[in-house]
Amino acid sequence: MFPETPELSVSIPAKTELLKMLVELTSYIAVRNFFSVSESRKIALAVDEAITNVIKHSYKESTDSEIKLDFFCSNEGIKIKIEFSGIPPELSETMVNLEKMIKAKKKGGLGVALIKRIMDSVKYSTIENTNYLEMIKWKKSS
Amino acid sequence: MRNFLIKSKTIENVGILYPTGHLDAHSVEKFENEMIKMLDDNIVKIVVNCNELNYISSAGMGIIMGYLDEIREKGGDIKLSNVVDRVYEIFDLVGFTEIYEFVDSEEKAIEKFNNVS
Repeated sequence: MFPETPELSVSIPAKTELLKMLVELTSYIAVRNFFSVSESRKIALAVDEAITNVIKHSYKESTDSEIKLDFFCSNEGIKIKIEFSGIPPELSETMVNLEKMIKAKKKGGLGVALIKRIMDSVKYSTIENTNYLEMIKWKKSS
Repeated sequence: MRNFLIKSKTIENVGILYPTGHLDAHSVEKFENEMIKMLDDNIVKIVVNCNELNYISSAGMGIIMGYLDEIREKGGDIKLSNVVDRVYEIFDLVGFTEIYEFVDSEEKAIEKFNNVS
């Protein structure tokens, strides 16, 4: 289980130029929480993909919007809760057929699949026009 | 400091892209523009030398994926070379390692292109 209070909360404007900072921050928090460097990088990639989706699809690249991230850490794993408004995300893609996507000349569509492959649990909810995306990665031993 | 740079050159009709640094949704436009420039110059045998690439998200992989069909229709292909472990892991997560040819060196990639033609 995770504590009720996040270890860290950050609010950022919806700008892609901040993605690298978020990747570095997430990776740092995961390593500090005893995930391997390789796993930490993947968790950070999942955050990158989730925030990119929010910026591109929910906020349609309107940079005056805000995104809040809460990081919860415990001995069992890490939970990242992302809070945003705008258009609710589409999280249906789990499996991707690369050959079909290549034939269709698609440049997008890998992000959600990556998130679902990396994280153990991905849940989305909307409460009073605010969207919440909650992602959990458990430690291998738990 | 810039987070991402892209350089390119052509050797024996093979175009080589050198993405350097952090390739994400913010920097992807530079990568796509360089890919489009190659296609505009009718270069369809493309090597992406990832030696200096230390991060790629789905935005960057989308460019490698989105132009492949057009490139193959024109008789070309995309090969990836010198991919560092941390980036290879990401390519592997989405199955790129089954679709694209990964080679150890740029020279080997060029040689493979030249042997086919």
